Amino acid sequence: MLRSVFGKTIWDARRGLVGWAIGIAAIGVVYAAFYPLIQGPEYAQALAAWPDELKQAIGFTDATTAAGYLGASTYGLLGPALVIIYAGLLGGRAIAGEEESGRLDLLLAQPVGRRRVLIERLAALCVAMAVSSAVLFAAMVAVRGPAELDDVSPANLAAASVHLAVFGMFFGAVALGVGAATGRRSIALGVLAIVAVGGYIVNALAPLVEGLDWARQLSPFYYYSAARPLVSGLAPGDLAVLVVVAVVLAAAGAVAFERRDVAV
Amino acid sequence: MGDVIVAERLSKSYGARRGLDGLDVAVHGGEVFGYLGPNGAGKTTTIRLLLDLIRPTSGRATVLGIEPRAGGPALRRRIGYLPGDFAVDGGQSGAELLVHLGHLRGGVPRSRIDALAERLDLDLATRISKLSKGNRQKLGVIQAFMHEPELLVLDEPTIGLDPLVQQQFLELVSEARSAGQTVFMSSHILGEVQRGADRVGIIRDGRLVAVEGVEALRRRAVQRVEIWFDEPVAAESFAALPGLLDLAVDGRVLRCRLAGRADDLVKAAARHGVERIVADEPDLEELFFAYYRGEAADDAA
Repeated sequence: MLRSVFGKTIWDARRGLVGWAIGIAAIGVVYAAFYPLIQGPEYAQALAAWPDELKQAIGFTDATTAAGYLGASTYGLLGPALVIIYAGLLGGRAIAGEEESGRLDLLLAQPVGRRRVLIERLAALCVAMAVSSAVLFAAMVAVRGPAELDDVSPANLAAASVHLAVFGMFFGAVALGVGAATGRRSIALGVLAIVAVGGYIVNALAPLVEGLDWARQLSPFYYYSAARPLVSGLAPGDLAVLVVVAVVLAAAGAVAFERRDVAV
Repeated sequence: MGDVIVAERLSKSYGARRGLDGLDVAVHGGEVFGYLGPNGAGKTTTIRLLLDLIRPTSGRATVLGIEPRAGGPALRRRIGYLPGDFAVDGGQSGAELLVHLGHLRGGVPRSRIDALAERLDLDLATRISKLSKGNRQKLGVIQAFMHEPELLVLDEPTIGLDPLVQQQFLELVSEARSAGQTVFMSSHILGEVQRGADRVGIIRDGRLVAVEGVEALRRRAVQRVEIWFDEPVAAESFAALPGLLDLAVDGRVLRCRLAGRADDLVKAAARHGVERIVADEPDLEELFFAYYRGEAADDAA
C-alpha cells in the first residue's frame, strides 16, 4: 500500500472509507425497513392526493412499488447526497486541501509528476466510491427479503449501485479537477455544490416546464437516474456521459495544475 | 565537479510583491553552501524554484545541469528536500511516511532508515501527530538524507532542533560533503551557517548581497560586546583599537560593537581587572550593515 501515491492515498483514507461505507449502507437498511410499513392502502391513498407535479419533482411517481420506493429514497435522495459529500471531501482534499495545509510541497518534490499525482489520487477516489457502493449493494441484497423488496432483482440493485458509484466518481472528479486548477478547496467545494444543487433542481423541474424538457440532459442527475436502473438495469450510454465529462474535467484540471505555481 | 546549482538573473514576483529580484548565484559541486538572509528575503522562494514547485517570472536556474521543469521526476530523484515548513499527515507513523517516500524514490533500504532514526533518537512507530515539533523536524531531516541524493536542498533545517540534535545534523551534513554530496541550506541565523557551511551567500530583498567563505564572513561579522571591569576605565585607552564601533564606557562597564577578531580588544582589556565578558551571537542585521559599510569604504578607496 505504501508503494505508490495511489496505494498510500487509499491507505490513509481507510478509516474514513469504512465509516462512510457503513453509514451509507445503514441509511439504505433503515429506508428498506420502512418499506413494509407503507404497504397498506392508506399510504397509497395519501399519495394519490398529492399533486402529480410534486410527485414527479421529488421522484415519488411510483413510490409504492419496491423499485419506485428505493429509487425515491435510498438511491434517489440520501444515497446520492451522501456520496456527493464524500466525493467532495475526498476530491477537495486530494490536491487543494493538501496544498492549503502545506503538505503538497513534500509530495511534489518527490520523483513523481504532478499529472501522475492527480491521476493516482483520482483513481483512489474512484476506489472509495466503488467500495462504498458495493457495501450498499451487499446491504440491500441482505435486507431485500426481510424488507419485502423482492420485486427488485439483485442484478438491478447492482446496476443502481454501479450508477451511484459512477455518479460519485463524477462529483469527485469535479472537486478534484477544480481544486487542482485553483489550489483552493473552498472553490472546489463551491463549484461542487452548485453542480449538485443546480443539477438536482434542473433534473426535477425541467420536465414540468413546457419546452424545457431537454434541459434535464444538462444535469448529472439525469444520467444517474433517468434510465431507472432499479427497473431496467444498467444504462451504459448514460454512465459513459458521466465518465467522459469527468475525464475531461480532470484532464483540464491536470493541465492547469501542471502549469501553475504551487502555493506554500 | 562543476556547478550544481546556477541561477542567472532569476526573478519571481508575486503580484506587486517581489520574491526574487535578479538573483545570480552558483553553488559548486561537493560544497556546503549556506544561504543566509532574514525572513522574507527570498530564501524559500529560491528553493521552491529549484524544485519546480513554482516557476520563475524571468531568468533561469539549472540544478545538476538541468532546468527544474525540464528535469522533472528524474531530476527530483537526485535531490533530497527538506521544506521550510515540514507538514505531513499526522495520522501516519514515521515509518509509514519514510517507507512510502523511499518507494517513490525508487527504494531506500529499511536498514538505512532505521540507522538514521536510531542516530537521531527518533521512534518511528509513533504517530506523527503525537511527535514534538523537534521530532517532526528529525523526520524531515531523515527523509531528505535517506536516499543519499547528489544534492540536498534544506530550508531552515535546524529549526526546532535542540542543540544536541543540531550537532548531529551538522555531522550528517559533514558526512554528506565527505561523500561528495552537495548541500544547499538556508538559514536566518549566522552562527548556524558558520558552523556547517564552506561558503555563505547572503541574500536580502531578493538579491544576493555577497558570497563569502566562512572565515571571511567571520571577520566581517559584528558582535555586541560588554565588558565589566573591577575599576572604572577610561574610554580613551580603547578608542584607537581597530574594529571597535560605537564605543561607550560608563564607569566600569564598556559597551561596543566589535567587527572581526577579538584579539586586540581582549589584550587591551587584560591591562585592567576583568569581572566578566558578555558577547552576543553575531547579528544578521549587523552583518548587513557591515557589508554596506564595506561597500561604501570600497567606493571611497
